[in-house]
Amino acid sequence: MTLQMTKTQKLLRIIGNNTVPILFLVICAFGIPLSGYSANYLVSEIVIRISRNSFLIVSLLIPILAGMGLNFGMTLGAMAGQIGLILISDWGIVGIPGIILAMIISTPISVILGWWCGKILNMARGREMVTSYIIGFFMNGIYQLVVLYGMGVVIPIRSNSLLLPRGYGIRNTVNLIGIRRSLDDLLLIRPFGIPIPLATLFVIAVLCLFILWFKKTKLGQDMRAVGQDLEVARAAGIKVEHTRIVSIVISTVFAGYGMILYLQNIGTLNTYNSHMQIGMFSVAALLVGGASVSKANIRNVFLGVILFHLMFVVSPMAGKNLIGQAQLGEYFRVFVSYGVITISLVLYEVRKKRDQHYAGMQLAAEQEAST
Amino acid sequence: MNLQELTSSAKGLVKSFGLPRIIIGLFLLSLFITAPFVGVNIGTSLSDTFNRFGMNAVMVLAMVPMIHSGCGLNFGLPLGIIAGLLGATISLQVNIPGPTSFLLAILFATPFAVILGWGYGQLLNRVKGGEMMIATYVGFSSVAFMCIMWLLLPFNNPTMVWGYSGTGLRTTISTEGYYLHVLNDFLSIQLTDHLTIPTGMLLFFALLAFIIWAFLHTKTGTAMTAVGSNSVFARASGINVDKVRTLSVIMSTWLGAIGILVYQQSFGFIQLYMGPFYMALPAVSAILIGGASVNKASILNVVIGTFLFQGIVTMTPSVMNSMIHTDMSEVIRIVVSNGMILYALTRKTEVIR
Amino acid sequence: MKLALTRIFWIRFVAILVILVFSVLLFFIGKQHTVLLDNKTVTIEGEEIRALQLVEIQINNLEPMELAARDRDKEEVTGQKHSVTIIYTDSNWEEYTIERTFKLPLMQEMVLLSIPTLVANPEADQSLWLENYEPPTYAVTAADSEEEVVTDDLSVLLTDI
Repeated sequence: MTLQMTKTQKLLRIIGNNTVPILFLVICAFGIPLSGYSANYLVSEIVIRISRNSFLIVSLLIPILAGMGLNFGMTLGAMAGQIGLILISDWGIVGIPGIILAMIISTPISVILGWWCGKILNMARGREMVTSYIIGFFMNGIYQLVVLYGMGVVIPIRSNSLLLPRGYGIRNTVNLIGIRRSLDDLLLIRPFGIPIPLATLFVIAVLCLFILWFKKTKLGQDMRAVGQDLEVARAAGIKVEHTRIVSIVISTVFAGYGMILYLQNIGTLNTYNSHMQIGMFSVAALLVGGASVSKANIRNVFLGVILFHLMFVVSPMAGKNLIGQAQLGEYFRVFVSYGVITISLVLYEVRKKRDQHYAGMQLAAEQEAST
Repeated sequence: MNLQELTSSAKGLVKSFGLPRIIIGLFLLSLFITAPFVGVNIGTSLSDTFNRFGMNAVMVLAMVPMIHSGCGLNFGLPLGIIAGLLGATISLQVNIPGPTSFLLAILFATPFAVILGWGYGQLLNRVKGGEMMIATYVGFSSVAFMCIMWLLLPFNNPTMVWGYSGTGLRTTISTEGYYLHVLNDFLSIQLTDHLTIPTGMLLFFALLAFIIWAFLHTKTGTAMTAVGSNSVFARASGINVDKVRTLSVIMSTWLGAIGILVYQQSFGFIQLYMGPFYMALPAVSAILIGGASVNKASILNVVIGTFLFQGIVTMTPSVMNSMIHTDMSEVIRIVVSNGMILYALTRKTEVIR
Repeated sequence: MKLALTRIFWIRFVAILVILVFSVLLFFIGKQHTVLLDNKTVTIEGEEIRALQLVEIQINNLEPMELAARDRDKEEVTGQKHSVTIIYTDSNWEEYTIERTFKLPLMQEMVLLSIPTLVANPEADQSLWLENYEPPTYAVTAADSEEEVVTDDLSVLLTDI
């Protein structure tokens, strides 16, 4: 007896593997006409959001490759990027030099934080995702300690517009007028009235090329081996713990850069909240694009950004036109955002068990056939 | 005992108790000691601590069944809280003032807790190994879903709905006139001018704790513990692992519902919409501070942990404010509670799945 | 940590050095300063230099500005080295053009360029007509309280802890 899947089983399998993107396509298909937004508006919104968020989401790819799951600890990289931005705002460095300098400053901070995060994740083998989630919250406390109490006291800040009236601690919002849209406006074209920031998209493209190249390097292959089977990789001589930590470090550094790109587009730094939000919606967007906890590629990133943000943009108006309360649409999109992560996580676990079960059955069938 | 034996036994104590817990305990002790020197009244502080202990203890107790059965830390506590909120709102809608409304709230919350807990348990049974992450997001999604529901459900008690439109519940609803302080004031003991012990609430917690303790010593209870420590062995002994796990989830959800009701009667407000969003984290870190681990918890852990955690949350603002004139309490709370969870997550576990 | 003086070590060391030097360069290139253009009557060494009735001033290649007597305007510039072009008409209805370059001190946020002084001494060293300026502190702190908070609408996904 051989186990072959029927055509319907195969079709169900495809739908099952891509449940989340299909679900989102359906939601968008309903939501877009309901919202009444023009195509022009939607396209320009999506372009802005792609240029703003993609870098952050791409930074999630490497830990997935190394089997660390969804790196909620990218919050740490975001914090490093923000500290870089606070410093250059204080020093009055503007424009592209400001952005590059912020990136340079954030790098050592990201490396240290990523290294520490990776070490802790190695201690929590099998529970990486929850642990990285809690690490994000924990570091938020440390970040507040540094930014709300340390800056101005231990770390010299000269600019009064940054400090709270009491003399130390950074204000809730930092105006990034110096670097606002610096990278975006560098090469802005407007076909059909839709602003497209070519420079930013170019930077994102460079990152994608880097990821593709990285997967082919020895380190990248090591990570893939570690991600597929830890013990086999260890037996093959790969330094498993070290490789896992490196994957988190790289992810954190890129998250820092991504946060800087994100903030240069928005133009204002929400000092105590920005970094907590991006972890959530980056993960959600990646999952919407069809990625799973163990497999993600660049296609997922861009598909995810488009679908997730489309849903996000159209929900309030769609809710208003459908039921009469825009608030409903807003709660709806929050629910969908969290719901998609829940579904993805559940599907991943269920599929993992089913694949193990299936592999076991195949093995049993082969044994039976050979006897 | 010579010096060597003393140090080795001390080391053993530290190791079994855990260094972070000892640090937290000493920290709290130092706060209590410095309090009178900086002008903070010990009586008020103790009063507040007991009050907050009672408010939160039941929700921390809700962690115990699921830890026992091996489902890990119940990050999905918001689901139970929602059951409690449904009970509370329906009880207020029925509009019988006074202490009866509290009993009604419990009565209405129970079926919701059982149904939601059953569904949640079924889900967790299918995802063994990744429970904690999924629990977190189930909690979040359900809170977000209920946000939509609170807007749409047909409540019409004027104390609950928005004034202008008349539909859709308000974000916070006062429990005054219904079950405000129903437990707190029951048999409360006024020791001094500043020190009041909310005996009713503490007795209620003691009752629930006793029920759980007794349950864990019944046949089903020991089955639950067996499933948690070694599920393979439990299955071999004929125990239906899935059924026991679902039962533990239902119990946990129900305790969460009761817990939020106890919280509300003391706090004075029913918090809807995004209120319950992060309520799992304090409960999780409280039980961990009390000595529990991801797969082992006892009632003693609940009591110690809640007291330490709420003590720090109460004392730090008042004492530190008077001392260094800065309110670092928020930051300390974040660092302590999340640090504790991190510590627990990074311990090696002995559970065989 | 053993420090082996291998090739890899030196390559990394040089790389870090290059980045550090580059960062300092960025600091110089990117630092923003505010130049206050002042057309007020000043008194230097007991001698009074009158303000000009009307003067047109241009910093680098930015928009030229017109200043009347007792006017003050400001320009934000990035970097250290700049040029200033002044066109003014004196009492004999003759037009004069003065072009000078000046360097700004690195750590100074604001400087004051006194136009009358420059016009009176067109060949003088910049220290005569360019001075550092400290904004009065009370002016700064009150400013940004009502600033509009621009947030990504994704902030609804997280509430306050």
